[in-house]
Amino acid sequence: MSVSLAPAKASRLPLRTSGRNWLLRLSFLLSPAAILAASRFPPPDFEGGHKLPETTTPAARGLVLEYLDVALLLGCLALATWLAYRPRSRRGLAWLSLFSLGYFGFYRKGCICAIGSIQNVALGFADRSYAIPLTVLLFFLAPLVVALFFGRTFCAAVCPQGAIQDLVLVKPLKVPAWLEHGLGVIPFLFLGTGAIFAATGSAFLICRFDPFVPIFRLSGSLSLLTLGAAFLLVGMFVGRPYCRFLCPYGAMLRVASLLAKWRVRVTPTLCTQCRLCEHECPFGAMRTPTPSGRAPEAPAVERKRLAGLVVLLPFLIAGGALAGWRLAPAAAQLHPTVELAEFHLANQKSPTVYPPMTPEALKLERAAEDPAALLAAAQKVREKMTLASWLVGAWAGLVIGLKLIALSMRVTRTDFEPDRGACVACARCFLSCPAERQRRGLPVDPLPAAMPATASKS
Amino acid sequence: MSGHSSPMVNRRDFLRGATRSLTVLGLGGLAGMAASRATAQTTRWQIDPHKCVRCGNCATMCVLKESAVKCVHAFAMCGYCQLCTGYFEPEPNALTTAAENQLCPTSAIKRTYVEDPYYEYTIDESLCIGCAKCVEGCSRFGNGSLFLQIRHDRCVNCNECAIARNCPTEAISRVPIHHPYLLKTEGH
Amino acid sequence: MNVAKTTPVIGASAVHRVALTSAAVAGAFVLLVVSVLLNQFITATTNDPWKSPQLLEAKERLRAAPKDEAVKARIRDLDLRFREDYRRRLRLAASGGWLLVAGTAVLVLSLQAASEAKRQLPLPRPDPDAAKRAVRTAAQSRRAVAVAGALAVVAMVSTGLGIRSLLGGKLAAPGASAAIASGAAAAVAPAVPLPPPAEFARNWPRFRGPDGGGLAPPDTVAPLTWDAKSGAGVIWKSPVPAAGFNSPIVWNDRVFLSGATKEKREVLCFDARDGRLLWTCAVPADPRGPGNAKEPIDDTGYAASTMATDGRNAFVIFGNGTLAAVTFDGKVAWTKHLGMPNNAYGHATSLAVWQDRVIVQYDQGTPEAPNSKIVAFDGLTGRVAWETARKIPCSWATPIVFEAAGKAQIVTLGEPHVIAYDASNGAELWRVELMHGEIAPSPVFAGGRVLVVNPTQFLAALKPDGSGDVTASHVAWKVEGVIPDVVSPVSDGEFAFVSDSGGVLTCFEAATGKQVWEKDLQAQVQASPVIVGKRLYVCTTAGTMFVIEVAREFRQLARNELGEKFFASPALAGGRMFLRGDKHLFCLGVERVDPNALQEPRPPQRVEGNALHPKP
Repeated sequence: MSVSLAPAKASRLPLRTSGRNWLLRLSFLLSPAAILAASRFPPPDFEGGHKLPETTTPAARGLVLEYLDVALLLGCLALATWLAYRPRSRRGLAWLSLFSLGYFGFYRKGCICAIGSIQNVALGFADRSYAIPLTVLLFFLAPLVVALFFGRTFCAAVCPQGAIQDLVLVKPLKVPAWLEHGLGVIPFLFLGTGAIFAATGSAFLICRFDPFVPIFRLSGSLSLLTLGAAFLLVGMFVGRPYCRFLCPYGAMLRVASLLAKWRVRVTPTLCTQCRLCEHECPFGAMRTPTPSGRAPEAPAVERKRLAGLVVLLPFLIAGGALAGWRLAPAAAQLHPTVELAEFHLANQKSPTVYPPMTPEALKLERAAEDPAALLAAAQKVREKMTLASWLVGAWAGLVIGLKLIALSMRVTRTDFEPDRGACVACARCFLSCPAERQRRGLPVDPLPAAMPATASKS
Repeated sequence: MSGHSSPMVNRRDFLRGATRSLTVLGLGGLAGMAASRATAQTTRWQIDPHKCVRCGNCATMCVLKESAVKCVHAFAMCGYCQLCTGYFEPEPNALTTAAENQLCPTSAIKRTYVEDPYYEYTIDESLCIGCAKCVEGCSRFGNGSLFLQIRHDRCVNCNECAIARNCPTEAISRVPIHHPYLLKTEGH
Repeated sequence: MNVAKTTPVIGASAVHRVALTSAAVAGAFVLLVVSVLLNQFITATTNDPWKSPQLLEAKERLRAAPKDEAVKARIRDLDLRFREDYRRRLRLAASGGWLLVAGTAVLVLSLQAASEAKRQLPLPRPDPDAAKRAVRTAAQSRRAVAVAGALAVVAMVSTGLGIRSLLGGKLAAPGASAAIASGAAAAVAPAVPLPPPAEFARNWPRFRGPDGGGLAPPDTVAPLTWDAKSGAGVIWKSPVPAAGFNSPIVWNDRVFLSGATKEKREVLCFDARDGRLLWTCAVPADPRGPGNAKEPIDDTGYAASTMATDGRNAFVIFGNGTLAAVTFDGKVAWTKHLGMPNNAYGHATSLAVWQDRVIVQYDQGTPEAPNSKIVAFDGLTGRVAWETARKIPCSWATPIVFEAAGKAQIVTLGEPHVIAYDASNGAELWRVELMHGEIAPSPVFAGGRVLVVNPTQFLAALKPDGSGDVTASHVAWKVEGVIPDVVSPVSDGEFAFVSDSGGVLTCFEAATGKQVWEKDLQAQVQASPVIVGKRLYVCTTAGTMFVIEVAREFRQLARNELGEKFFASPALAGGRMFLRGDKHLFCLGVERVDPNALQEPRPPQRVEGNALHPKP
């Protein structure tokens, strides 16, 4: 029965299953229990002509509807981009967010999503036999391509996870820049981790720990629901905590939008440096112009530091790889085959008797069918995971190193402008700009509005 | 778009443009690679009833509050037994529909008289919780005409099925969307 | 959602107040719903209706008192209550979820309105320290990123060190991991080596002896005469507190037999030296099955199959299809529930063993819908070594295992085929289409031939060296006569004997099938006879043991009375004969041998002497 172990991953993750293949496997895998179940009691011939009812098979959600999902994604992306660039309308984006939250979130229950699609792509890279479903591929590609040209308009109003956080935002607190940068590396690390676990066929961690999908489904484990509630609660006072500090797809979009051809700007025309937009961004993406005059730090110090960090980069990568290598034996245990093997070995070491027919007992039974093959398969996975852990460790080192280098580069900015990577094009800052207000024909002078505030202080 | 024309900014824009083009090319390559695997079929999760060992995980592991797994009945395989081991408790007190005789915890199986000595058993899916108690009884002592299936009017098609992850015999796998059920027709 | 910043609202503080009030109400509502849902969640996990001890207890009580209407009413009441409760919880969870979403939406909107009303518009002031601050922030940020990186490394390493792996630290080749596996297995199961074939042959490890043919090994000692009434020749006699028609098996100083009733199934182990009941081991019922629900006929009972042993575990199968391995200390090593067989009497075929495997011929079904198989289970672990399906309806004959044509063969009888399988992998070797009817007598292997009895019709000899369907070529001879319907034949290679239920004993030439003699013993016979040396032991249902010379002429050597009804086939080992009567297990022998001698192979001279010069 070693057959059942070899395609362990196959049956676990979506695999190309042609009908005939599947039948072939089935015929191999008939368990003794299944063989027992045959017509011990021959079906009767009813004298009264009783007609047998049909076994109902409610259809799966049709393919057409899946393509509708893609069409809606593309439409929403186009609309969000248009709303951010042309009417520059926050209100429009808010309504679109609401729609996305309703459709992709509560109606589609968070499945299909761009964030999760990373894992399918990673698996597709690692496993040549795995074919990424077209819809999943499009969900992965479309927001990235749009971000390469227009920035993160997907985050602005199309992603339901982003939308739910954006919509619950009440009073954003400013996250200190250092904390923002420190926490900002997490999405990249999560991206790497999620990718290797998916690529090795171990687990879809990004899906499993998505805090909002249980909310969309209104059902899930208590811990995940609590996590989701916690994210929403924090999200009332810290703008988009998941997007900024966890979302792996956000990390990809951040890099893509660094390369964007166009980007949203606060002012439609010229920046007058009135500084009214300075504290408008709830997501910490607003960047101030570089101060004029002599830099407080000597250029020589800056250059030395930069050079030092560039030299340090390979060491960081090597160090990370080394740390990742230590992780491999533990990481491999997320793979079902390795998990089964470890369970089997642990049980052999200190035998525990599980009541018959419990999942544990059945698992052990399956392991005992061919322990040698199981352990060999587990070792294979372990080998793959070792390579993957090396890579993810190196990736972590690279991320840290590049982030440090980026923080040591001197940037010259003349205008108030959103950071290319961090801006999610939510359009909140636009209306604070006098030039924008003028363009829209709104009262330009915002100062009177400030009066009651100062008055209330007294 | 930046409106500045210093050579520094121009160089940056050029680099950015070049990298962007490369990235687009890369993504195009990815799309091409995916497309070249021609059988990229849309799939759905399903239980192979011949691999299922009725451990009961299906009732509890699904991400939905009431599992997407339900019991279905292959009527053509059914023996229409008077003493249905999928319907009655082991050693039933009497062959009646009274609660103390029923195996199903939710009373989801309806037992109707057809003709002597045959009874028909139908599943009320709105009551079924997918606990597999009846499946076990039927498979072990009867014809095995009762079995579990993922019902696609309920399944949300998670990227990674939580039940599949916990299935002790890896009986759940993805099947082509056009044939989303693995129905039993005969013993095997 | 941001309410668009239009001109300042005059009644901003009023809006603020109203918004706050509505936020407070919404917040209270959300808290209420959350607490109700949480409460539901917690009580649902602690109060799972399907596992309610009340309900289980009531059902247990009903089993004890099936007529108690009050208990029935209580079960119905509890069942309905639990089901209603479950549905209510589900409805509540669904509606509660949506209420929570709505409440949260109102809460958020009110808070947003309140926050908007109180919103302080920025009043930028000169910021001379901006440049310095930017440098400081950059430095802090670098530090923060470095700390984040360090934490990531610490997390990776500590996870790597913290989560232990038993899979071996080094990457090993597949062969090496197999070694790990077997090493680990050996660590658990105390390393009991499989006893050598010689020890197997010396004992009586299965139905009808080591080869399953009822032929005791050449050096076996057996008593010739005894008298149950006076106790002469009876070494010991122990009551058997279990019902069953199965025959005893013997391994060194242990005698095993099984018994079962509608309620329980057990294995009994007696000390071969003194007849002490060493232990009784209850074999658990199939947790999911109706126990022994199938009502067998009186002639079969719940434990018709004879046990078997490989010298490490004793194996038992009951009429309901429960197979178990029991250690020599009386502990259940493993069980397999093969399911209630689809036949008229329950499972009755006895077990066979080959090397470390127990072989189960599990025939069931009708000729139109056969559902049979033969399975080899690993004796130590119970895992399936191989399994082969058989297109054979239910049958009752026990398979035999022997070496012929260079292979260990398992020969099975069924309708209409005699099929031989390779004992090592279950592959079919050859088949002969020959049989018809209710196949009950088991085959024997003697003189290089397989002798099979087709109930009441004929005795046939098959050559076991073909492959594929050898019906046309491998039936050496076939002879009609007074052929048994239940009792198995026995042969020493020279002569073959059959006895029908009515006690007509017929002797054939094993090589040709020619009838040599026929003798009516005028008694009912159910137990299969055995041959020890030159003696044929035929035991009647009434408990009379005829000892007849294996020779060309009929000669009765002795006639002994057991004093009770008798159905089981005798077992012989260590110079003794073990007989399972209706009520007692008898140990018969010529002398009280040294118990230690049971462990040792007997020197052949002594055997010869005993066989040739039996004490009266």
